[in-house]
Amino acid sequence: MADLKNIANEIIRREIEEYVERPDEIERNVELFSRTRPLMQEIAAALIEGNDGAVDQLTKKALDQDIDALEIMDDGLIAGMGIVGIKFRDNFIFVPEVLACARAMKAGMTYIEPILSASGVEPLATVVMGTVKGDLHDIGKNLCIMMLRGSGFNVVDLGVDTSDDEFIDAVEEHKAPILGMSALLTTTMPNMGKTIEAFIDADLREDVKIMVGGAPVTQEFADDMGADAYGKDALDCVAVAKGFVSVQA
Amino acid sequence: MSRLERSPKKKPLQKIDPEAYRQRIDRLGAIFADIAGRAEVVSKFRCPYRDRLDRCTGKFRCRNQETTEERDVLRCTHDGHFDYRSAWETKPESYNRAKARIKKNREISAAKRETPKVSSENT
Repeated sequence: MADLKNIANEIIRREIEEYVERPDEIERNVELFSRTRPLMQEIAAALIEGNDGAVDQLTKKALDQDIDALEIMDDGLIAGMGIVGIKFRDNFIFVPEVLACARAMKAGMTYIEPILSASGVEPLATVVMGTVKGDLHDIGKNLCIMMLRGSGFNVVDLGVDTSDDEFIDAVEEHKAPILGMSALLTTTMPNMGKTIEAFIDADLREDVKIMVGGAPVTQEFADDMGADAYGKDALDCVAVAKGFVSVQA
Repeated sequence: MSRLERSPKKKPLQKIDPEAYRQRIDRLGAIFADIAGRAEVVSKFRCPYRDRLDRCTGKFRCRNQETTEERDVLRCTHDGHFDYRSAWETKPESYNRAKARIKKNREISAAKRETPKVSSENT
């Protein structure tokens, strides 16, 4: 039987001991981390702690040591994210911590992306995402971004309080076929419609599929604004984006 | 020794089997899907901006925020017994107003687009 003592990294040992409660998950994780290199355990530990700087440096170090990119994904990034998922499910951490871990994951994947590109693996599409002008709520958008990146999309995150011009410039600069807008307030939601109108004025509306979402947004509002689709949550956002890609293909 | 010979050789990029990569993306997608599903459930009773130490991570004003002795750190005081999302709204009753604004915005934009057409037709 796998033994916790066989895991070199103290942080990983502590994480499993303190936060993984189901016997099958304890066994699976102990077995997994027991056979991984110490450097992979370090990557996983840094990701679990949401330390994007450390994940950045450690992933670079691993690739410099000619460690296979798939091993880095398997034993470092995905293994770490597996523990994060368990901790979130069991209420040991919450959305802000999960998003910090997702940022750390992105830091590591940044070094894998050139390898993917050189291997002929291209992102499904580029998606520009932002919260509309006047709105500072970003968690829903960030969850969508996490899901989109995890599904193979390249995402350009414009952050919060995004103006029409910023959306238009980003879509043009990155030649993005998909734009996602989020609003969390009924008072800022109409700004999504304004941005859509700005795309029409800029003669770019035909070039981009626009999806909208956020707590007050409904299919009816999305239709009123002239959006192409409405996503009710992060899972739906990925389904909508994949739908756009399959239509374009 | 020439400059070219002295410069360190750039390592060729390793290659990834696209199918093997696809399998990893599927695994990651499954982990993230569980997280997103759970986030939907948790957000019904706990504000998503509230971290594990009950600090507010929102960059906006909320009626549930409370200052702490630590500078720039706000504590979330939401008790989980009401819909915290109403605390974000400056005017929660503005739903119909939003609908009217969307309609008006579209009409204004459409009218603006029509205007130059008319003038060019006249000339």
